[in-house]
Amino acid sequence: MSIKLINKQNVKEIDFVEDTKIEDILKQEEIPIETVVIKQNGETVTEDEIVNDNDEIEIIKVIYGG
Amino acid sequence: MTKNVCTQCGYEHVVIHRKYNGQRLCSSCFKKSIEGKVLKTIKKQKLVTKGDKVLVGLSGGKDSVALLKILNILKEKRIIELEAVTIDEGIAGYREEGVRIAKDVAKELGVKHHIVSFADKYNFTIDKIMEAEQKEEHPQHACTYCGVFRRQIFNQMARDVKADKLATGHNLDDETQSILMNYLEGNVNNMVRIGYKTEARDKRFTQKIKPLREIPEKEIGLYVLESGFEVHFDGCPYAHESFRMEIGDFLRETTLKHPTIMYSTLNGFEKIKPAIKKDYMENFTGKPNKTCIKCGEPSSQEICKSCKFLEKIQNKIN
Repeated sequence: MSIKLINKQNVKEIDFVEDTKIEDILKQEEIPIETVVIKQNGETVTEDEIVNDNDEIEIIKVIYGG
Repeated sequence: MTKNVCTQCGYEHVVIHRKYNGQRLCSSCFKKSIEGKVLKTIKKQKLVTKGDKVLVGLSGGKDSVALLKILNILKEKRIIELEAVTIDEGIAGYREEGVRIAKDVAKELGVKHHIVSFADKYNFTIDKIMEAEQKEEHPQHACTYCGVFRRQIFNQMARDVKADKLATGHNLDDETQSILMNYLEGNVNNMVRIGYKTEARDKRFTQKIKPLREIPEKEIGLYVLESGFEVHFDGCPYAHESFRMEIGDFLRETTLKHPTIMYSTLNGFEKIKPAIKKDYMENFTGKPNKTCIKCGEPSSQEICKSCKFLEKIQNKIN
């Protein structure tokens, strides 16, 4: 299973196992949770949402630093 | 496992989990909560009086866009008059977008908007200053110049439009950073001035107010996105590694494990502030306010900082 992670111009495919949360993906990618807003398939979600196969996860950085 | 539903209305799609109070909110309840909190701060801290004209410093970034949108609620209720000012410092590839967004937001909300550029007012841009500064052995940071000139423009504009209050978008993160920085640096003089509003040191200065002071920075970003506004999220190209940034990173990281830390820092500071202020002011013999002999603006010295910088810059770029 994989998702598409969109971070500005940077787009990448990430494989994951069942019951992975968005929070786990962000930690793995070293993206500080406290500085971003997350969209899952176009809808704003919290980091404790579970990811599904073929999801599009967009990261919007709202705080500088980190 | 906690069900991911709005703790206010039960709607099944939440956009935020506030770890500091356990709330999970849907988009609509979240926006209402932010607006309610800010309006409550304004009322509780008496930041505006009915009939006030409020001038907002509108950069086009998330904080000032959120601030204008929320203050517009008071304008629509005819409690205040509202105008906005945007300063164009002349930073190519960065400021243009902020100015464009500021124009669009002000137009959409029907708020009278002023744009003042360094180029028109002073005949230079920050880019030009920095180009000259790079040739120096110890170049100054852009922020040193930018801050002084911006403050001067805000003060003059507030006086020109006869504003009663000058509102800025400082948020909870900014304020806790200032408290901690000044404490760690032992800068009590600056620390006693941190607050919801400035206290007039000179009647020629318009009172500054900070209605977003109790809202975490990330929530402001979320609020503008959920409100459908376009936001200029890029950082300034001249922003540098600063002590403020280090403190900001430390506070945000600490918040992950201790979600209430920014609120306790702010609230604790508000409790001890009167005591520090009383003791400090008793032992502090401040300089009387003077008037700059060059420009006539309030100044603590014969020539104000802005005029001193202007002279220095003219020598450098000519």
